[in-house]
Amino acid sequence: MFKIIANNEVGPGIFQLILNYDQLPQKPKPGQFFNIKVSQSGSDDPLLRRPFSIFDFDAAEKKIEFIYRVVGKGTKILSKLEKETELDVLGPLGTPFSLNENKGNVHLIGGGMGIAPLYYLAKKLKSSKQKVYLGAANQAELNFFEEKFKGLGVELHLAAMEEKLEIRGSALVLWLNYLEKNTPDYVYTCGPEKMLAAVEKEALKNNIGGQLSVEKRMGCGIGVCLSCSCETREEDQKNKRACVEGPVFGLGEVILSA
Amino acid sequence: MKKRKKKLSKSDLDLSVIMKSKQKAENKNLNLKNPLITASGTCGNGKELADFYDINQLGAFTTKGITVEAQPGNKTPRIAETSAGIINSIGLENPGVENFIREILPETENYTLPILANISGYSEQDFISLAEKLEGREELAGIEVNLSCPNIKGGGMVFGTDPEKVFEITKKVREVYSGYIIVKLTPNITDIIETALAAEKAGADAVAMINTLSAMKIDIDQQKPLLANTFGGLSGPAVRPVAVKMVYQTYEKIGIPILGLGGVRSGSDLIEFMLAGATAVGIGTVNMIDPMAGPRIIGEIKEYMLKHQIPDLSSIIGAAH
Repeated sequence: MFKIIANNEVGPGIFQLILNYDQLPQKPKPGQFFNIKVSQSGSDDPLLRRPFSIFDFDAAEKKIEFIYRVVGKGTKILSKLEKETELDVLGPLGTPFSLNENKGNVHLIGGGMGIAPLYYLAKKLKSSKQKVYLGAANQAELNFFEEKFKGLGVELHLAAMEEKLEIRGSALVLWLNYLEKNTPDYVYTCGPEKMLAAVEKEALKNNIGGQLSVEKRMGCGIGVCLSCSCETREEDQKNKRACVEGPVFGLGEVILSA
Repeated sequence: MKKRKKKLSKSDLDLSVIMKSKQKAENKNLNLKNPLITASGTCGNGKELADFYDINQLGAFTTKGITVEAQPGNKTPRIAETSAGIINSIGLENPGVENFIREILPETENYTLPILANISGYSEQDFISLAEKLEGREELAGIEVNLSCPNIKGGGMVFGTDPEKVFEITKKVREVYSGYIIVKLTPNITDIIETALAAEKAGADAVAMINTLSAMKIDIDQQKPLLANTFGGLSGPAVRPVAVKMVYQTYEKIGIPILGLGGVRSGSDLIEFMLAGATAVGIGTVNMIDPMAGPRIIGEIKEYMLKHQIPDLSSIIGAAH
């Protein structure tokens, strides 16, 4: 059983959802997601669950935290749910980020709501050599994230499209500005697919390894419906499911639309 | 019948149903411990749902549709949500029949429930080749011939809307396949009874109805069709009344069992299909929302049987007529 203990607006249209749980089938790892039924008491609308990546997790307090933006019917309903509401939640699902390769200089690049899964990742990486590059529309969207990441003591760089922070532009442009004088050994990225494709291209060109997390329109979240298939570069051209083999993939593993 | 003195308890309930075979011999029948069959393409190939419960509790299991050659499927987005329904256009992504036999069938070894292989084709010959390849496979109880996939070009549904084609393909498949044959019909047709009758006449053991309803969704912000494939198939609770009506109508005209499906998400929905005339009932879209739907629905059927003091579930098949 999952119960809402907080569901607050922490930025313009951006909500923090904290759930309390009784038990989980396994401990959630950074990059995994939960599939939440947002329609209440037997309603068929919306029919499908909504996948949300883990923002933070606290085993001692039995809390899972998500950050989501209200974009459609499902998230609108979710944003109206009050404290103490019980939720039907499936998870953790999907393949997490691998933390084994965080040797040396690690960069995290997050755009928009793609920032959400990077926080729990940054927390788990525990590397003092982490540099985090975040971008959103404006400072208001970044306030919450800025405070959280600063709390981890990582080097943080911020960009916004609508106003000049460190730069005026995207997380990608911000990161590229640093790339030459400060080449990482490894990157983790999440955000719009075009941004992922650009990060991937630059990283591979510079022989930098890394992982990315894709956002795909999902049906079931458990691998049965094949709605979220991603084309791969593998020889047999076998597709990979964002919900099972992903959402985290190695750089170059799946074909992104640039 | 002996008059019952004591009230029925859960252990008295008989949920089993028999999908009779047209091939007369009793060993050709499809015996199900309950009428619940997972619908093709909504339950992977078993192991995904097996993470949640023992799928041997189900009546039968249908594998994801297979074709002769491997198919990458359609471009994404492949799914759109509508009121009480979803529109999908997966495009039959599958590893092809050879890989199915080599890799997927061995994985079903530990299952004790009947397994049905769903087959799809782009030509008449495809269906025949698939049936030939699957003939004699002991892992399978039968095949579901998908003459109704709306999401592939020049196949599937094109055959399924023409009673003559349904007859021809079914007849040829019957000639090469000796196991149980279910022909899956499309609702995107003027009169589904005609195709059901054609399948029966050609030797199908049963018909499955309905496949998805042809549909689309437009993204009003992008001002473009939402699905990469433009059109898809509507499933989920929204289509259930249409499916129930088609099962009801067809039940009165054909003599072979009906596998009813379309938007079932509870025991009451399943009972409704049986009352309309379905011997077995498929669950599809609900598996995507509630992976535990199978065992939950079986529990709900038992509650209905207790409430109405029905010892034998098969006694309600077609009872609404």
